[in-house]
Amino acid sequence: MTATQDLTTQFRHGILPETTADEFARQEFVKSLKFHLASKVSLGNQDAFEARAKPAFAKATGAEPQTYSDIRKAMSEDPYFRFWSAMQRNSQEMMWKSVQIPVERQLPDLIAAAGSAVEAAGTLRLNPDLEIPKYHRGVDIHCMPGGYHTEFTADDVANGAVYDTAVYIYAMGRMGPLNSDIGDTTIAWIKENHPDFKPRRILDMGCTVGHSTLGYCDAFPEAEVYAIDVGAPVLRYAHARAQSMGKTVHFSQQNAEATDFEDSFFDLIVSHILVHETSNAAMRRIMKECNRLLTPGGLVVHAETPPYRDLPAYDAFMLDWDTRNNNEPYWGASHELVASEIAGETGFDPDKAFEAYQPSAFEAAERRTKVFQGGDFGGGGAWWLWGVQK
Amino acid sequence: MAEQIRLQKKARGERPQYFADPAIDKTLAITLALAGEVAVLRDRIDTIERLAEAGVAPTRAAVDAYKPDATVRAKRDAWRETYLDTVLRIIHQEREELEQGAADTKPYAAVIEEVTADA
Repeated sequence: MTATQDLTTQFRHGILPETTADEFARQEFVKSLKFHLASKVSLGNQDAFEARAKPAFAKATGAEPQTYSDIRKAMSEDPYFRFWSAMQRNSQEMMWKSVQIPVERQLPDLIAAAGSAVEAAGTLRLNPDLEIPKYHRGVDIHCMPGGYHTEFTADDVANGAVYDTAVYIYAMGRMGPLNSDIGDTTIAWIKENHPDFKPRRILDMGCTVGHSTLGYCDAFPEAEVYAIDVGAPVLRYAHARAQSMGKTVHFSQQNAEATDFEDSFFDLIVSHILVHETSNAAMRRIMKECNRLLTPGGLVVHAETPPYRDLPAYDAFMLDWDTRNNNEPYWGASHELVASEIAGETGFDPDKAFEAYQPSAFEAAERRTKVFQGGDFGGGGAWWLWGVQK
Repeated sequence: MAEQIRLQKKARGERPQYFADPAIDKTLAITLALAGEVAVLRDRIDTIERLAEAGVAPTRAAVDAYKPDATVRAKRDAWRETYLDTVLRIIHQEREELEQGAADTKPYAAVIEEVTADA
């Protein structure tokens, strides 16, 4: 971990966009609105379900709603749920707007800063010919205008800067000053469960701006750290961010389904909230690629929010909100994945697959709702990890 | 000055419609944005007051450059929480009623009849 003085605000690395007082106040409002919705308004959905949607469903169908999709049907027209959903969707759109304003204002400066990043040992390799996968072209994931890959100008870093600031607001600061909780939590699980593991090379798939990546440099100082993403703007920004923080990472623009690394190049492959932004076919191709890239005994670990089967049906329904309301088309299906099944389908030994929960590495207990629900990212206080050892 | 680079404003993908009349979706979006701008103004006033209290002239440059420390940010968080309780009153009212059980609420006409008949 990089030393930070203040755990209640985003760490100011060398390329974080500046904000005027008003721009910062607007972002702080969005953060407060999101927290208010998650901690005070969202809970009313369960009251609405118990008080009216559940009895109405039972009356209409002759049976109480059992599954999360039953509950979705029961709640789909409930006025409280619809109004909360509308506010939640707006909070997401307001978040992007609040971070776009300062990024748009200072974009030439950000691009210049990224271009003149002090050369530490890290590298950046872009591939302008890379085909952006269709699951990133169809809709802009989690409503970020332009997604990870769109370039609004030459050498663009805009959506790297937008994403970096927005994630801090989205998680309401509960992933720490570096937005690194998912990576730090995954690292903690690896250290606890594989104490003697000494990976020589590590790959972070779908790294975006490197929030989760950089922790691996400190946790495994002997290892070379590589990170890939399909989006050039997030990679340029990730590289500049890592350089400004003195972390050595080799970033390259690649699709995790088919990379240009040699066979058995890595001992550890990780991803953090990557899987739910792919597709059923793509995530299987990614796992086959992991199999090709791993050395025997190597480990692949994916971090996500819990699968629906592990949650009460009502909670699964609330966690599933993003599938239809936040441009996360694979969110729902990805929450049905079973590690051993995927391992078996992709050439691994299913008996070496695992699913685990690890408590959040970042201490932010007072602002956590301890619930996994739409619009409350990072509030659950734990991450679900799954994967397999080769 | 270099030409302004414009970012994309809308996320690709069909936006869900939450209300029967799309004008209600738009009106809610505008209302929430306005609530945000009131909070921005309130923080600006708070900054002016704090600068004045510290003996600093609250010029536009001083206000724009002001960086609230952790204590001030916590106070503003608390203010916004109360502010949102006030702005979203109608939602919290509905939630309180749902919590108490919607079945307990009698039609208002029945209440009129009850007190009228209670001679």
